[in-house]
Amino acid sequence: MTDTNALISAMNDEASEAATTDTAPFAAAGLRVLARAHWPDSPDDVAPPIAGFIITSFVPMVAEVAERCLNRRPEPPPGARTAILLASTGGDRDTAQAIAEAVREGRRVPPLLFFQSNPNAVLGHVAGRRGLTGPVVCISPLKETDAGVPAEALSAAGLLLWDGDADEVLVIAAEQGRAPGEAGRADAALVALAP
Amino acid sequence: MNGTKVDGTEVSGTVVTGTAARQAVVVTGISVLSGCGRGTKALATAVSSGTPAFTPVTRFDTTRRATAHAAELPGSPALGEALIAAVYEACHEAALLPREAAQARLLLALHSDLRIGAVVAEVARGVAEHCALPGIERVYTCACVAASTAVADAAALISAGMHERVVVAAGYLVEPDTFGVFDAGRALARDGRARPFSRDRSGLLLGDAVVAVVLESARAAGRRGAVPLARLAGWGRAGDGYHVCRPIPDGSGLVRAIEAALGRAGVGPGAVGYVNANATGSPLADAAEARALRTVFGAGGGPAVSSTKSVHGHALEASALLEFAVTVLAVRDRVLPVNSGYLGPDEDCRLDLVLDRPRYADPGYALTVNCAFGGANTALLVGVA
Repeated sequence: MTDTNALISAMNDEASEAATTDTAPFAAAGLRVLARAHWPDSPDDVAPPIAGFIITSFVPMVAEVAERCLNRRPEPPPGARTAILLASTGGDRDTAQAIAEAVREGRRVPPLLFFQSNPNAVLGHVAGRRGLTGPVVCISPLKETDAGVPAEALSAAGLLLWDGDADEVLVIAAEQGRAPGEAGRADAALVALAP
Repeated sequence: MNGTKVDGTEVSGTVVTGTAARQAVVVTGISVLSGCGRGTKALATAVSSGTPAFTPVTRFDTTRRATAHAAELPGSPALGEALIAAVYEACHEAALLPREAAQARLLLALHSDLRIGAVVAEVARGVAEHCALPGIERVYTCACVAASTAVADAAALISAGMHERVVVAAGYLVEPDTFGVFDAGRALARDGRARPFSRDRSGLLLGDAVVAVVLESARAAGRRGAVPLARLAGWGRAGDGYHVCRPIPDGSGLVRAIEAALGRAGVGPGAVGYVNANATGSPLADAAEARALRTVFGAGGGPAVSSTKSVHGHALEASALLEFAVTVLAVRDRVLPVNSGYLGPDEDCRLDLVLDRPRYADPGYALTVNCAFGGANTALLVGVA
């Protein structure tokens, strides 16, 4: 039995807004964790570029953390529908900046930027590679967190599972570095409703 | 999910089949600002007559673009201000008292760009100050299904008894960055008309839209004597699992989204009399959507179909909420809108399109579907209140 009060609590409890990397926020949201991954794992960790995407450092780290997490998943039940939910307050600032600068300066906008001009694109890349057929959702959390998956993303994933269009949710939280040269960070968790 | 306690009620069975214990969801307020003008009447008049709102863009220079047209309102409205006004108007139409608005949650759909943080902060302040709402609950950025995803979440929250009332708002105003990048991607119609499902279609045209909708449980609406505009009977979402931006050719992701929506409502495809399609005028995507609709509804005798993007343009993150409003109005007024810009049949898009003039008919249930990059699909099923 799943206690939906846990989902309500995760949405409303200010204390739960502090994102952490331990399992307590997942349990508070009524979720069990099937797999976890982080990027970078070390200071020299690399997210390989993704064919068809240019300029952006956002897309490679989202794709890489998703791959790592899915590679650690247990064998899914037959027919399981896996949703992908991306939470990013800043989004892909590299792409947005490149579009804005090209337009402002009257330069030709690189056509490939069209395909990466919204955060769904990288999720389509992951879903296509891994055959994930659950819902595709992107949210912009109201508060940027320094680490882990924000509670807001967990409550969104919990609602999606509870409502029944997905059996599992791959939750990804990703933020690019704010300062020039500052590395971004991404966290992923594959979750299901707690038994 | 089995045996869940929701609002004091035991919900048994899967969500799709276990709808009996859920709260019915109704629409009690809508505010629309679109390229067709201000208000639902201007929108209903334009889509029922099939009068396109496309004009040469005046907001910025388009001389280096393949098209100069969009469904643009006069001047340069400010997105944050327009969203606050839309939420205010929708709450006003729903006749919410301040104490009732104070209990509502606000879900917002916006384009993910360099301005989003400032717009969200402005809207959060504005709705608290002018509408008595407690701020913003969540912001959705999933492209052309952002607003319909928000509506589905709102419905889930209400039907589960987690919240009695949720306001969904979405906004996109045509601006040079998206216009420029859609032009670079050759997505814009070169002939200045959006021609969904038509032969010789060449792409989409962008359009302004700022929309807000008040959703609440039928019980809460009834308790305060509100008269619902329509009922949100079902919702569903599914992914293609196929490609970065191309839809899966057989439309199977959209099929599953529609089936989920019908399943939640407990109705079969034959109960649907109208579909507000996603079709943008894209050669590939329109054909995939037509295949999905034929799969669900059969090859002949399916519901009336139109894509009103042919009139109000594509409002990106706000498009699904604008089309939800169109669908609610179609059910309420029993007027099925026109698929404008049609030049003739395309064998890959064989559907019962509403052409030339509106159909005056009670559709029973009406479905509005949306698809986005990443293979995201949503379906919202609207019924008479």
